[in-house]
Amino acid sequence: MSKYLKWYLPVLTGAVILLLWVGLKAALGIGNFILPSPLKIVQAAIAERHLLWQSSLVTLTAATLGFVLAAVVGVLGSMVMALSGNLRLSLYPYILILQMTPIGIFAPILVIWLGPGLPAITVITFLICFFPIVANTTQGLISVDKNMVDLFRMINADRVQEVVLLRLPHALPYFLTGLRIAGSIAMIGGITGDFFAGNSDGGVGGLGYMVLVYNAQLKIPALWATGFCACVCGFIFVTIVIGLNWWLLRKWHDSIVKADL
Amino acid sequence: MTPPLVKIAALTKRYGQGAVILQDLNLDIPKGEFVSLIGPSGCGKSTLLKLIASLSPLTSGSLLVDGMTPENAREEMAFIFQEATLLPWRTVTRNIELPLEVQKMATAKRAEICARMRKLVGLDHVPNHYPRQLSGGMKMRVSIARALSLSPKILLLDEPFGALDEMTRDRMGEELLAIRQQQKFTAFFVTHSVAEAVFLSSRIIVLAANPGRVHQDITISFPYPRSAETRESAEFQRCVADVTRVLRAVNPDHA
Repeated sequence: MSKYLKWYLPVLTGAVILLLWVGLKAALGIGNFILPSPLKIVQAAIAERHLLWQSSLVTLTAATLGFVLAAVVGVLGSMVMALSGNLRLSLYPYILILQMTPIGIFAPILVIWLGPGLPAITVITFLICFFPIVANTTQGLISVDKNMVDLFRMINADRVQEVVLLRLPHALPYFLTGLRIAGSIAMIGGITGDFFAGNSDGGVGGLGYMVLVYNAQLKIPALWATGFCACVCGFIFVTIVIGLNWWLLRKWHDSIVKADL
Repeated sequence: MTPPLVKIAALTKRYGQGAVILQDLNLDIPKGEFVSLIGPSGCGKSTLLKLIASLSPLTSGSLLVDGMTPENAREEMAFIFQEATLLPWRTVTRNIELPLEVQKMATAKRAEICARMRKLVGLDHVPNHYPRQLSGGMKMRVSIARALSLSPKILLLDEPFGALDEMTRDRMGEELLAIRQQQKFTAFFVTHSVAEAVFLSSRIIVLAANPGRVHQDITISFPYPRSAETRESAEFQRCVADVTRVLRAVNPDHA
């Protein structure tokens, strides 16, 4: 019974929401422009499926590129900052500034520099994903137990061995936490980037671009369908990252392995 | 006469401009001794261990390990911490062979030593377990196996059994002595337990605090091998009582 509960309780919630949606719409006489019926949205999604599929792929590509770039640069950056306290003190305020400045301000500047298109969208996603990765990984690299460091000194480990055999594996769960946060906002980066830097070069734009197009054309059910696509893409993204997290930590980390003596 | 394995002369230690931790310490420890360091907190017993291990620099005086500076003698020493300090992402086997891996020893040789160590500490049945699957006593056994894997001349132990329950603690003491019958090493053992110190040691150095200095240097003359029965002898009980009295004299707060 309780095994299935986690499946059909959410389904039940969904059914209640749909019922309220349709019921309130009919009872209050809300028009399709303000709140399209679920059916209209499904119809719009089917009618626009080619465009929506293509633009989902475009946005997923940009989000993935920016996300992977953030992971690579984030790990390298945190290794540099973990290496030297002075370097960390010098760089960290600027990474914070980068994080504190709203992306909506960086985005138009990036479009001026790079022009509209995939490179600009990738960089915008990168900027959104970078901070949680670099902040968490740095924390992991520098929070190694003092006795562990002494142990490595006692066995005459050199600096590289200390990083590879001790600090990096220790930082892995921290890095993955950063990656999970970044994964959940990468799609937001991709769509925000698309708002500012999206275009239909190569025949099709991303989801953010389609939002602008459908909005201008007053295709409101299609607009809702676009939101649904973004949601699905986001779920795919997060699922992959959580899967990776599980796979890498499954054998030894307390967050995955429950007491099983 | 052979020179002492560890020679400490006029050693003083203070951290920065802070209080003097150890003052004018003089000790000669010959090869093969099992030395316990006991004393009230703040007497610098753990600091002394760190100085020998060269994990901390001395302020003045001299400290020679096998005729060398502690730094140069590091390869002859191994350190066991109060916590097992195992790498949680490595199995028992991979934890034990960590020092061998750092020395870039060939894989086959590594496996051979590792298997011998597992047998030595009685962990032959759990080669692929992760630390989280082990009890406190088993974790400490892995830690001991790892420390002994490079056959150190000197073993430095900083309250290694302090976090274990009393039964396990006694067992571990017995096992440590049994291991020492097979693999000879000179030991420096920091502890708060007089009974543990008397059971393990050939020599107990009682330190006084503020500043840390040698209060009394006691020779324990029970022959090795010692076993659980040793603890039950009247002689042993008397010895524990004697050392306790000495310790109380330096630690009047707890009298």
